[in-house]
Amino acid sequence: MSGLIHLLNSHGLTEDTIIKATFYGIAGLTVLFAFFVVIARNIFHSALSLAVVLIGVACAYLYLDTEFLATVQVLVYVGAIMTLFIFTIMLTADVHKKMSLKINPRVLLSAYAAALILIILIKIINAGPWLPEVKDAVPLDLAQLGRSLMTNYGLPFEVISLLSLAALVGAIVIGKTEKK
Amino acid sequence: MIPQNHFLILSAILFAIGIFGVLTRKNAIGILMSIELILNAANINLITFNKFQKTPDGLGQIFALFVIAIAAVSAVIGLALVISIYRNAKTILVTKINLMKW
Repeated sequence: MSGLIHLLNSHGLTEDTIIKATFYGIAGLTVLFAFFVVIARNIFHSALSLAVVLIGVACAYLYLDTEFLATVQVLVYVGAIMTLFIFTIMLTADVHKKMSLKINPRVLLSAYAAALILIILIKIINAGPWLPEVKDAVPLDLAQLGRSLMTNYGLPFEVISLLSLAALVGAIVIGKTEKK
Repeated sequence: MIPQNHFLILSAILFAIGIFGVLTRKNAIGILMSIELILNAANINLITFNKFQKTPDGLGQIFALFVIAIAAVSAVIGLALVISIYRNAKTILVTKINLMKW
Protein backbone atom coordinates (compact mmCIF):
# COMPACT_ATOMS: atom_id res chain seq x y z
CA MET A 1 0.00 0.00 0.00
CA SER A 2 2.77 2.44 0.92
CA GLY A 3 4.63 1.33 -2.19
CA LEU A 4 1.57 2.24 -4.27
CA ILE A 5 1.33 5.64 -2.60
CA HIS A 6 5.05 6.15 -3.22
CA LEU A 7 4.61 5.26 -6.88
CA LEU A 8 1.72 7.70 -7.22
CA ASN A 9 3.72 10.37 -5.39
CA SER A 10 6.53 10.01 -7.87
CA HIS A 11 4.03 10.84 -10.61
CA GLY A 12 3.13 14.11 -8.91
CA LEU A 13 0.00 12.84 -7.15
CA THR A 14 -0.24 13.64 -3.47
CA GLU A 15 -2.42 11.74 -1.04
CA ASP A 16 -4.80 14.69 -0.90
CA THR A 17 -5.46 14.65 -4.65
CA ILE A 18 -6.10 10.90 -4.53
CA ILE A 19 -8.61 11.34 -1.70
CA LYS A 20 -10.35 14.14 -3.58
CA ALA A 21 -10.41 12.24 -6.86
CA THR A 22 -11.96 9.15 -5.25
CA PHE A 23 -14.56 11.25 -3.44
CA TYR A 24 -15.69 13.10 -6.55
CA GLY A 25 -15.67 9.88 -8.53
CA ILE A 26 -17.88 8.13 -5.98
CA ALA A 27 -20.16 11.17 -5.69
CA GLY A 28 -20.57 11.34 -9.47
CA LEU A 29 -21.35 7.64 -9.64
CA THR A 30 -23.88 8.00 -6.82
CA VAL A 31 -25.70 10.82 -8.62
CA LEU A 32 -25.64 8.89 -11.91
CA PHE A 33 -27.20 5.82 -10.34
CA ALA A 34 -29.70 7.98 -8.44
CA PHE A 35 -30.84 9.27 -11.83
CA PHE A 36 -31.11 5.69 -12.97
CA VAL A 37 -33.33 4.88 -9.95
CA VAL A 38 -35.95 7.41 -11.05
CA ILE A 39 -35.79 6.97 -14.83
CA ALA A 40 -35.15 3.23 -15.26
CA ARG A 41 -37.91 1.59 -17.27
CA ASN A 42 -37.67 -1.70 -15.43
CA ILE A 43 -38.49 -1.40 -11.72
CA PHE A 44 -36.08 -4.22 -10.90
CA HIS A 45 -33.17 -2.34 -12.47
CA SER A 46 -34.10 0.74 -10.50
CA ALA A 47 -34.00 -1.31 -7.27
CA LEU A 48 -30.50 -2.55 -8.11
CA SER A 49 -29.36 1.03 -8.86
CA LEU A 50 -30.77 2.08 -5.50
CA ALA A 51 -28.42 -0.45 -3.87
CA VAL A 52 -25.46 1.22 -5.63
CA VAL A 53 -26.66 4.65 -4.48
CA LEU A 54 -26.91 3.44 -0.88
CA ILE A 55 -23.37 2.05 -0.99
CA GLY A 56 -22.17 5.38 -2.43
CA VAL A 57 -23.84 7.23 0.43
CA ALA A 58 -22.10 4.84 2.86
CA CYS A 59 -18.79 5.86 1.23
CA ALA A 60 -19.70 9.51 1.80
CA TYR A 61 -20.24 8.65 5.49
CA LEU A 62 -16.72 7.20 5.55
CA TYR A 63 -15.37 10.52 4.26
CA LEU A 64 -17.20 12.19 7.16
CA ASP A 65 -15.41 10.02 9.77
CA THR A 66 -18.50 8.08 10.79
CA GLU A 67 -17.49 4.48 10.22
CA PHE A 68 -20.25 3.14 12.47
CA LEU A 69 -22.99 4.81 10.43
CA ALA A 70 -21.43 3.56 7.19
CA THR A 71 -21.62 0.02 8.60
CA VAL A 72 -25.20 0.50 9.74
CA GLN A 73 -26.08 1.95 6.34
CA VAL A 74 -24.76 -1.10 4.51
CA LEU A 75 -26.29 -3.56 7.00
CA VAL A 76 -29.73 -1.99 7.31
CA TYR A 77 -30.26 -0.43 3.90
CA VAL A 78 -28.38 -2.67 1.51
CA GLY A 79 -28.85 -5.79 3.59
CA ALA A 80 -32.41 -5.54 4.86
CA ILE A 81 -34.38 -2.85 3.06
CA MET A 82 -33.11 -3.74 -0.43
CA THR A 83 -34.00 -7.39 0.14
CA LEU A 84 -37.47 -6.29 1.16
CA PHE A 85 -37.82 -4.11 -1.95
CA ILE A 86 -36.67 -6.88 -4.27
CA PHE A 87 -39.01 -9.41 -2.65
CA THR A 88 -41.92 -7.02 -2.97
CA ILE A 89 -41.10 -6.38 -6.63
CA MET A 90 -41.04 -10.11 -7.28
CA LEU A 91 -44.35 -10.59 -5.43
CA THR A 92 -46.20 -7.78 -7.16
CA ALA A 93 -44.91 -6.09 -10.28
CA ASP A 94 -44.46 -7.94 -13.52
CA VAL A 95 -40.67 -7.82 -13.74
CA HIS A 96 -40.58 -8.31 -17.49
CA LYS A 97 -43.06 -5.57 -18.21
CA LYS A 98 -41.32 -2.36 -19.14
CA MET A 99 -42.64 0.78 -17.52
CA SER A 100 -42.12 3.43 -20.14
CA LEU A 101 -41.37 6.92 -18.93
CA LYS A 102 -43.13 9.01 -21.52
CA ILE A 103 -42.23 12.65 -21.84
CA ASN A 104 -45.57 14.22 -21.06
CA PRO A 105 -46.40 17.61 -19.50
CA ARG A 106 -46.58 16.06 -16.03
CA VAL A 107 -43.02 14.72 -16.24
CA LEU A 108 -41.74 18.01 -17.64
CA LEU A 109 -43.45 19.96 -14.87
CA SER A 110 -41.95 17.64 -12.24
CA ALA A 111 -38.50 18.06 -13.81
CA TYR A 112 -38.90 21.84 -13.69
CA ALA A 113 -39.97 21.66 -10.04
CA ALA A 114 -37.04 19.41 -9.08
CA ALA A 115 -34.55 21.58 -10.98
CA LEU A 116 -35.95 24.69 -9.31
CA ILE A 117 -35.58 23.11 -5.86
CA LEU A 118 -32.01 22.08 -6.72
CA ILE A 119 -31.06 25.57 -7.94
CA ILE A 120 -32.56 27.24 -4.87
CA LEU A 121 -30.80 24.80 -2.52
CA ILE A 122 -27.42 25.26 -4.22
CA LYS A 123 -27.82 29.05 -4.14
CA ILE A 124 -28.63 28.89 -0.43
CA ILE A 125 -25.69 26.56 0.27
CA ASN A 126 -23.26 28.84 -1.55
CA ALA A 127 -24.67 32.10 -0.21
CA GLY A 128 -25.29 31.36 3.43
CA PRO A 129 -22.62 32.39 5.92
CA TRP A 130 -22.08 29.10 7.72
CA LEU A 131 -20.52 28.92 11.12
CA PRO A 132 -16.77 28.44 10.73
CA GLU A 133 -15.80 24.85 10.06
CA VAL A 134 -14.19 23.01 12.93
CA LYS A 135 -10.85 21.99 11.46
CA ASP A 136 -9.44 19.50 13.94
CA ALA A 137 -12.60 17.90 15.22
CA VAL A 138 -12.04 14.61 17.01
CA PRO A 139 -14.45 12.01 15.60
CA LEU A 140 -16.72 10.48 18.19
CA ASP A 141 -15.75 6.90 18.94
CA LEU A 142 -18.20 4.06 19.21
CA ALA A 143 -18.06 3.79 23.01
CA GLN A 144 -19.00 7.47 23.42
CA LEU A 145 -21.81 7.07 20.90
CA GLY A 146 -23.23 4.10 22.76
CA ARG A 147 -22.94 5.87 26.08
CA SER A 148 -24.86 8.91 24.89
CA LEU A 149 -27.50 6.65 23.33
CA MET A 150 -28.02 5.01 26.71
CA THR A 151 -27.93 8.17 28.83
CA ASN A 152 -28.90 11.46 27.16
CA TYR A 153 -30.93 9.94 24.34
CA GLY A 154 -32.34 6.98 26.24
CA LEU A 155 -35.97 8.01 25.89
CA PRO A 156 -35.91 8.48 22.09
CA PHE A 157 -34.09 5.16 21.84
CA GLU A 158 -36.87 3.39 23.73
CA VAL A 159 -39.52 5.15 21.66
CA ILE A 160 -37.79 3.91 18.49
CA SER A 161 -37.84 0.34 19.79
CA LEU A 162 -41.54 0.66 20.58
CA LEU A 163 -42.11 2.02 17.06
CA SER A 164 -40.23 -0.92 15.56
CA LEU A 165 -42.37 -3.35 17.55
CA ALA A 166 -45.56 -1.62 16.40
CA ALA A 167 -44.35 -1.69 12.80
CA LEU A 168 -43.52 -5.40 13.09
CA VAL A 169 -46.99 -6.27 14.33
CA GLY A 170 -48.64 -3.85 11.89
CA ALA A 171 -46.81 -5.22 8.87
CA ILE A 172 -47.90 -8.76 9.76
CA VAL A 173 -51.51 -7.69 10.26
CA ILE A 174 -51.60 -5.70 7.01
CA GLY A 175 -49.79 -8.31 4.97
CA LYS A 176 -51.57 -11.48 6.07
CA THR A 177 -54.31 -13.06 4.01
CA GLU A 178 -57.77 -13.11 5.47
CA LYS A 179 -59.36 -16.48 6.03
CA LYS A 180 -62.55 -16.90 4.12
CA MET B 1 -9.88 17.95 2.61
CA ILE B 2 -13.28 18.11 0.96
CA PRO B 3 -15.16 21.25 2.01
CA GLN B 4 -18.51 21.18 3.75
CA ASN B 5 -20.39 22.72 0.81
CA HIS B 6 -19.61 19.84 -1.53
CA PHE B 7 -21.27 17.34 0.80
CA LEU B 8 -24.27 19.64 1.08
CA ILE B 9 -24.48 19.95 -2.71
CA LEU B 10 -24.32 16.15 -3.10
CA SER B 11 -27.19 15.92 -0.63
CA ALA B 12 -29.17 18.61 -2.48
CA ILE B 13 -28.76 16.77 -5.79
CA LEU B 14 -29.95 13.49 -4.25
CA PHE B 15 -32.91 15.31 -2.68
CA ALA B 16 -33.93 16.90 -5.99
CA ILE B 17 -33.69 13.54 -7.80
CA GLY B 18 -35.84 11.98 -5.07
CA ILE B 19 -38.47 14.71 -5.44
CA PHE B 20 -38.50 14.13 -9.19
CA GLY B 21 -38.98 10.41 -8.62
CA VAL B 22 -41.84 10.90 -6.16
CA LEU B 23 -43.61 13.19 -8.62
CA THR B 24 -43.17 11.07 -11.76
CA ARG B 25 -43.18 7.42 -10.71
CA LYS B 26 -46.45 5.62 -11.24
CA ASN B 27 -45.33 2.44 -9.52
CA ALA B 28 -45.90 2.56 -5.76
CA ILE B 29 -42.60 0.74 -5.12
CA GLY B 30 -40.80 3.36 -7.22
CA ILE B 31 -42.28 6.10 -5.06
CA LEU B 32 -41.07 4.32 -1.91
CA MET B 33 -37.56 4.02 -3.40
CA SER B 34 -37.53 7.74 -4.18
CA ILE B 35 -38.50 8.43 -0.57
CA GLU B 36 -35.49 6.40 0.53
CA LEU B 37 -33.33 8.66 -1.65
CA ILE B 38 -34.76 11.74 0.08
CA LEU B 39 -34.11 10.28 3.54
CA ASN B 40 -30.52 9.50 2.57
CA ALA B 41 -30.03 13.09 1.43
CA ALA B 42 -31.24 14.28 4.85
CA ASN B 43 -28.84 11.87 6.54
CA ILE B 44 -25.85 13.19 4.58
CA ASN B 45 -26.75 16.70 5.74
CA LEU B 46 -27.01 15.64 9.39
CA ILE B 47 -23.65 13.90 9.36
CA THR B 48 -21.97 16.73 7.46
CA PHE B 49 -23.01 19.24 10.10
CA ASN B 50 -22.00 16.76 12.77
CA LYS B 51 -18.46 16.75 11.38
CA PHE B 52 -17.98 20.38 10.42
CA GLN B 53 -19.80 22.16 13.22
CA LYS B 54 -19.56 21.89 16.98
CA THR B 55 -22.23 19.43 18.12
CA PRO B 56 -22.72 18.12 21.65
CA ASP B 57 -21.83 14.42 21.97
CA GLY B 58 -22.47 13.34 18.40
CA LEU B 59 -26.00 14.68 18.09
CA GLY B 60 -25.88 14.47 14.29
CA GLN B 61 -24.83 10.83 14.32
CA ILE B 62 -27.59 9.88 16.74
CA PHE B 63 -30.17 11.74 14.68
CA ALA B 64 -28.96 9.94 11.57
CA LEU B 65 -29.27 6.59 13.38
CA PHE B 66 -32.88 7.40 14.31
CA VAL B 67 -33.59 8.48 10.73
CA ILE B 68 -32.25 5.15 9.44
CA ALA B 69 -34.45 3.28 11.94
CA ILE B 70 -37.55 5.24 10.93
CA ALA B 71 -36.73 4.76 7.24
CA ALA B 72 -36.61 1.01 7.81
CA VAL B 73 -39.95 1.10 9.64
CA SER B 74 -41.59 3.20 6.93
CA ALA B 75 -40.28 0.91 4.19
CA VAL B 76 -41.66 -2.15 6.00
CA ILE B 77 -45.11 -0.62 6.47
CA GLY B 78 -45.16 0.83 2.95
CA LEU B 79 -44.27 -2.46 1.31
CA ALA B 80 -46.82 -4.35 3.43
CA LEU B 81 -49.44 -1.88 2.21
CA VAL B 82 -48.27 -2.33 -1.38
CA ILE B 83 -48.67 -6.10 -1.12
CA SER B 84 -52.09 -5.70 0.48
CA ILE B 85 -53.19 -3.28 -2.26
CA TYR B 86 -51.87 -5.62 -4.94
CA ARG B 87 -53.90 -8.45 -3.47
CA ASN B 88 -57.09 -6.40 -3.56
CA ALA B 89 -56.70 -4.26 -6.66
CA LYS B 90 -54.37 -6.48 -8.77
CA THR B 91 -52.22 -3.46 -9.60
CA ILE B 92 -49.71 -1.22 -7.86
CA LEU B 93 -49.87 1.68 -10.30
CA VAL B 94 -50.97 4.63 -8.19
CA THR B 95 -52.92 6.06 -11.13
CA LYS B 96 -55.06 2.92 -11.32
CA ILE B 97 -55.78 2.46 -7.61
CA ASN B 98 -59.19 3.89 -6.88
CA LEU B 99 -60.59 1.55 -4.23
CA MET B 100 -61.42 4.45 -1.92
CA LYS B 101 -62.91 6.59 -4.65
CA TRP B 102 -66.63 6.95 -4.17
